[in-house]
Amino acid sequence: MNSPSDRERGLRQLKRAARRAERRLRLSAALTRAFTALPLLLLASVAGLTFIKVVRPSAAVERGLTTAIIAGLAVAVVWVAWAALRRRPHLVGAERLDVYHRLHDRVSNALVFSELPAAERTPMMELAIQDGLEHGQKLDPRRAVPFHLPRELWLVAGLIVALAGIAQLEVRTVRKLPPPPALAAPLLTEDDLELFRERLEELARTSQDPEQSAAIGRYNALLEDIAARRVDREEVFRRLAELERELNRDLDADREAMDEGLKSLARELEKSSLTRKAAEALQEKRLEDAEKALKELAEKLSRQKNKPSRAELEKLRQALEKASKGNRERLAAIDRQRQELQAERESLLKKKKPDAGALDPKDQRALEQNQRKLEKLDRDRARAERSSKQMDELDKQLAEAARKLMQEMGEAAKHLEQSGESLNRMAQKDLTTEQKKELLRRLEELREVLRQQGKGGKEQLERLRRFSQRARGQSRPGQGQGQDGKGQQGQGKGQPGELRIGRGSGQGVEIDMGQSPGSSQGQSGQGDSQGASAGQGRGLGHDPNIQGDPTQLKGETHDVSAAGVDSGQGTASAEVIYGAASRGFKVDGYKDIFVRYETVAEQNIEKDEIPPGYRFYVRRYFQLIRPRE
Amino acid sequence: MSDTEQTREEIAKFSRKLAELREEIGKMIVGHRDVVDGVLTCLLAGSHVLLEGVPGLGKTMLVRTLAQVLGLDFSRIQFTPDLMPADIIGTVVLDENAQGGHVFEFRRGPVFAHVVLADEINRATPKTQSALLEAMQEHRVTVGRNTYQLEEPYLVLATQNPLEMEGTYPLPEAQLDRFFFKLNVPFPGRDELARIVERTTGGHQVELKAVVNREEILEMQALVRRVPAAEHVVHYAISLLEATHPKHKAATDLVKRFVRTGSSPRGLQAMVLAAKIGALFGGRFAASADDVRGAAVSALRHRLLLSFEGEAEGITSDEIIADLLKKVEPGKGA
Repeated sequence: MNSPSDRERGLRQLKRAARRAERRLRLSAALTRAFTALPLLLLASVAGLTFIKVVRPSAAVERGLTTAIIAGLAVAVVWVAWAALRRRPHLVGAERLDVYHRLHDRVSNALVFSELPAAERTPMMELAIQDGLEHGQKLDPRRAVPFHLPRELWLVAGLIVALAGIAQLEVRTVRKLPPPPALAAPLLTEDDLELFRERLEELARTSQDPEQSAAIGRYNALLEDIAARRVDREEVFRRLAELERELNRDLDADREAMDEGLKSLARELEKSSLTRKAAEALQEKRLEDAEKALKELAEKLSRQKNKPSRAELEKLRQALEKASKGNRERLAAIDRQRQELQAERESLLKKKKPDAGALDPKDQRALEQNQRKLEKLDRDRARAERSSKQMDELDKQLAEAARKLMQEMGEAAKHLEQSGESLNRMAQKDLTTEQKKELLRRLEELREVLRQQGKGGKEQLERLRRFSQRARGQSRPGQGQGQDGKGQQGQGKGQPGELRIGRGSGQGVEIDMGQSPGSSQGQSGQGDSQGASAGQGRGLGHDPNIQGDPTQLKGETHDVSAAGVDSGQGTASAEVIYGAASRGFKVDGYKDIFVRYETVAEQNIEKDEIPPGYRFYVRRYFQLIRPRE
Repeated sequence: MSDTEQTREEIAKFSRKLAELREEIGKMIVGHRDVVDGVLTCLLAGSHVLLEGVPGLGKTMLVRTLAQVLGLDFSRIQFTPDLMPADIIGTVVLDENAQGGHVFEFRRGPVFAHVVLADEINRATPKTQSALLEAMQEHRVTVGRNTYQLEEPYLVLATQNPLEMEGTYPLPEAQLDRFFFKLNVPFPGRDELARIVERTTGGHQVELKAVVNREEILEMQALVRRVPAAEHVVHYAISLLEATHPKHKAATDLVKRFVRTGSSPRGLQAMVLAAKIGALFGGRFAASADDVRGAAVSALRHRLLLSFEGEAEGITSDEIIADLLKKVEPGKGA
């Protein structure tokens, strides 16, 4: 130990031992603190977990508890880390070694003196270093700084076991879960949907008009949305109303445009004796007759004998030429008028004073009038365009016939014949109009079914079903033979013109709504059910009893239809009937009621409250509804 | 021979002399090893010691023995209430010279010795007690206009009886502070008593011889001062000292409650110097915290002034210091 190298090695050994002892001291201190903090933390965790398991607090409370425990853990970690890492006296490890080995600070002093510069070291210090080296050869830091089992160890272990146990336990608690999002109840049954789809397919097959096909597509989309429950009741009714509005608007516009075009054609053709018959037919919208008349004329022209005179032919040519140009000329006239009105409007607007920002009252009125005229012309133009489009082919054929008439009779006849065919096609187009009406009826049916589905649920449906049976004098469902328009309970799938209620084929109740074409006043059936509605569309003829000319209004009015949005909240027709019926079919005898009402009517006739011209009708009515014995 | 080897030789000699001293004293004094070591510590520190114990424990015997084995001049002063300072220091007398003339001559008092026994020091009046102050602190005596240096080594060993309070004058704090150690002479145990009886009641005569001379003692005192005390040891002693002051943050609860005034810095000096001597006694070359702990009680007990509550509770300064030693651990204060 006397050589410098031995001395250095010995000192390094001392230092190493001292550092190790110091590390153990730090670790020991950290463990002591950890075992002081752990029971508290574990207790808090056990309490918190128990609270969460038993009370099932809200997520916010649970989160708060967890955060508090984590915060406590963080504080404990910092506290423990501070114990391990805080600055300690330089010789703390060496002193512990001295104490344990009873060296009376020999190691500490040796390390202290060895760190001094050699010049400052006294002989006594050198001796102290040597003494420290001699006594410090068998230092044992492990024994000098032993790790004792903390007293809290068992408590900590117990708490950990408790915590693990509580974490495994599941305390049953009644927890009110929010109700699952309710799937919207189906608006239509599968059977009803299937029925509507089939009918729609039939319509689609016969559809020729692209607008109608588009409407059918939208209708079909609506049905699919209903089937997939993507739409609610309100949405369905809104879309139905929208679809109906569009169909009605197209119908009105088409009808008006065709009426106008045919009238214009009729006016021109009337000027020639050869086409007068066709003109009359066109005037009365008898397109088949007009076609027939034109074909007859074509045949007449193609025949060699009894040909019309040249003057007649010239007249015919002029009539045909004018007729062919009618629509275009009308369109051009409208455009001219429109341009004039537009120019007038611009001049009026120029009068507007820049500073005042308004016209004088006179000009303002003129401007408003101009605006109204422009709007009317826009409507007229749209109508004329539509008419021109509808009658384009006919116009071409007529123009060609006029051009060939004086040159080659045969060709002219051929073109006249083709004109007749064009009229036939227009008649076919009228058929398309009928198909649109049919589609409208389907929409109405769908609305009716939806209304019934929405009111009172299954019980109401069952009541309606029983009511319908009773109304038909049937006692049990499923026995009648399906007869269209008879208002009987049918088997199999429903036919057009039927309103089907209920589920499953063969057991549905069918109510004839009396809407099939041509059966406007159909009195149906053998039971009590009757056709629910009159025929649609306006009449085409006149009452034969009318005296004088038919009413001719001079004012140019434009029909405007205003329809409210059907939200489905109203009462279905079947419900109205059922409501009336449920009050009783037979409260008083019909005979008594008839007598009572007829008496009142007679009294009013006597008092001259009914005009003489109508008294006949009143009496005739009561005669018709008199009770049969 | 290198300095280290020479120092080692000096220390070895020191140890040998110390062993001889112990052995020689042991021939006369039965037991009281700690008291003997304490007295020797004070001797080597060049300071003074206050021995406290009931009469008959051998305090005076110990001092006389020590004086004999050290080969130093010894004087004994029996303090009584009528003892005057001049009785201690000495007095100027009118003397006739050889020519028949008269001259004033200073007659040296008992304080002029290497080892002075101030027996029952608390029986003298404070005036007389304070006559020792200069001698103890400065190792010199001033009489009139003349100052007389006391020869080194100079050691005052005072004794006092803790039981008899009647007619006594407790030593003032300033004088107490000048004592390096205050040693309590305990009552001997059974074995020791038996040996005392054996030695004092038989025909056995002990011939003591001086085992060290004055020069050797001075060498030993010089060697003691060369013993190093590392910083952590000094800091530990400082921590102990600070803890004796009730107003200090390191003060223990007992100190705060029962101590009026803590130790003066002389207490710290005494602890560190005694630690150095303790290291040499232990055959070591540097003072340790253990040495400080070993010296703390003797160095601090007479320097703590108990409060009224402490007096009333019967708390002793030894208990307070023991508590301090438990609470103030080595290394914590460094």
